[in-house]
Amino acid sequence: MRLLKGIYHHLRHLYMWAKLHPRLALALCTILCAIFLIAGWLLTRPGALLGPQDGTWYRSQINKDLYVGLDPNYPPFTEWTPDQIEGIEADIAREIGNRLGVTTSILIMGYDGLYDSLYTGYVDMIIFGLSADPAYEEWVYYSRPYYDAGQILVSRVAAPVDNIRELDGKTVAVELASAGDIAAQRWVRRLHALDIQRHLLPDEAMHAVQLGEADAALVDTVSARLYLADHDDLRLASKTTVANGYVIAMRKANFRLNAEVDQALADMIADGTLDAIIARWL
Amino acid sequence: MIPKRLYTYAGWLLRVALIVLFVRDLAPIKPRVHLDLPQTVVTEHPAVCVHTRLTDEVEEWKIQRTLQMVREMGAATIVEYFPWPYAERNRGTYNWTHADRIMRHAANQGLTVIARLDRSPAWARPPIQEKVTTLTYLEEEYFDEFAAFVGAFVNRYSTLYGDQLRGVIIWNEPNLSLEWGGRAPDPEAYTELLRQAYAAAHAANPDITVFGAALAPTTEAEDSSAGMNEIDYLTRMYAAGAAGTFDVLAVHTYGFTQPATTDPDPDVINFRRIELLREVMIAHGDGDTPMTITESGWNDDPRWTNAVRPVQRITYTLAAFQMVEAWPWVDHLCLWIFRQPADHRNRRDMYYSLVSSDFYAKPIYEVIQAYAHDWENPYLP
Repeated sequence: MRLLKGIYHHLRHLYMWAKLHPRLALALCTILCAIFLIAGWLLTRPGALLGPQDGTWYRSQINKDLYVGLDPNYPPFTEWTPDQIEGIEADIAREIGNRLGVTTSILIMGYDGLYDSLYTGYVDMIIFGLSADPAYEEWVYYSRPYYDAGQILVSRVAAPVDNIRELDGKTVAVELASAGDIAAQRWVRRLHALDIQRHLLPDEAMHAVQLGEADAALVDTVSARLYLADHDDLRLASKTTVANGYVIAMRKANFRLNAEVDQALADMIADGTLDAIIARWL
Repeated sequence: MIPKRLYTYAGWLLRVALIVLFVRDLAPIKPRVHLDLPQTVVTEHPAVCVHTRLTDEVEEWKIQRTLQMVREMGAATIVEYFPWPYAERNRGTYNWTHADRIMRHAANQGLTVIARLDRSPAWARPPIQEKVTTLTYLEEEYFDEFAAFVGAFVNRYSTLYGDQLRGVIIWNEPNLSLEWGGRAPDPEAYTELLRQAYAAAHAANPDITVFGAALAPTTEAEDSSAGMNEIDYLTRMYAAGAAGTFDVLAVHTYGFTQPATTDPDPDVINFRRIELLREVMIAHGDGDTPMTITESGWNDDPRWTNAVRPVQRITYTLAAFQMVEAWPWVDHLCLWIFRQPADHRNRRDMYYSLVSSDFYAKPIYEVIQAYAHDWENPYLP
């Protein structure tokens, strides 16, 4: 009872003081509210004392494991070998595990089951030629791209073409009915004149460029890199004409894992590891 | 007397209203959807058919545009998926809004629809506290509820559009565990489901065609947890009395990396695997029952090991159409998949589709269009 009376007296004094100094009281109230709001925001942020925690990250760090789902039927990104799953994406997954101080376990599954496996927690992340899909962004976090598998221009070193606009009035070679063919057809509508020369295979399109029958070829970056490995008279454009960035998908709730994987990828790009992995296969 | 201040307030209110109106008008106008004049499909090859995927398409103008492009391609028939939970989310109450929209536009374009019906609403599955189940899980005690839905669907769209609802496919690939609620495939249970659905559909419209579910082409052994070989599955269906419980057998047959002409082989998945199913039907005295290929095609993903190059996709697809037209026991070849709402949603389907998600007709579309109209092939000599 005495305590209640004491509180009542203090509040009454405060009220009287506020009546005498209304502007000062309002300012103090505003500052207090702001402090409460900021403190609340800081304390309830993901990972903070009262905020949600990333259980997957803690499990991964305690058990020293990382479960990665992929479909091993997409060489050179993922493929079966007698010993293990190999390829660019398998190597990237293992390298991320190394950088996070955990052992990567690759779980093989059909393409159709990848997102379901991620959703149900069967795996921690999926890596499989995925592009960011806005429809999943409610619960999926997509990493920064690790490879651009889009369509790129290949031209002669002696007559470089870096942008498809430079091909106005010229000839572009493509694989018949491929994504490069479709991209070139779309560009026909934007340029004054673009002659599309169709070949049965991407290598034949690039060979036509070597022979001078076409000014450039528009092919996917994987085909282009594989072909250019043996043909140093050709060059790649500095950017893809149609980008198709491959990203890693994780659960959005695993904010700590998301950040760590992004950081690992950034480090791999900065120190050349990612390029080395890609160069090993392409 | 009106205070002067009130005039000032009114002036500001008017200005704000004008700005709001101006800004609102800057927004792009939503596409208006009006039905075309009733259309008819012009085709020289009625076997040409596509599997559309409008179930996930929320924008009506995209539904209309898709079906317009199907008609313009020269496909007179589509297969479309109508999930039971969408129509009967609450037990006993049907909501046909989305199905109506698709059927209305299909009929307007002069297209005949084969409707695939499956999946289970939440109320037809055990409570999640008792058992975690998937959308394809259906206990035998609810088979009559599914059959009632089939009857209601047939009744509604046969009444509204007559023959333009050609038939209903009862369930999808029940020989896969994934499509049978995560359980071991059960041909006998499926045959019972088919029997009940057949009776309900024919009670609603005696002329409707009931399709036995297309089985997934698979080389799984009978004791596999993932699924059952479709040849064995169909054999067990007949043993369970499936003859007479369907008017047509729907078939899924994919070519993967092989040409359409490659000989069938029980250990290999290829286009002519359908002939192995045909042999089972004949062996059980059901050779007069026709077949419809409700999913098929080749994939031209540049990296997938089960894909082919785009030029192979074109030649194999055309060969498949010619082959089907020579088979008197197959009436349609429906290609998977006409278009998906977002290309990046499913990378595999992106390379099966005939039209990109932004309605760009791919070369394979133009080739099939030329074939359907007996035009010159625009891509191959």
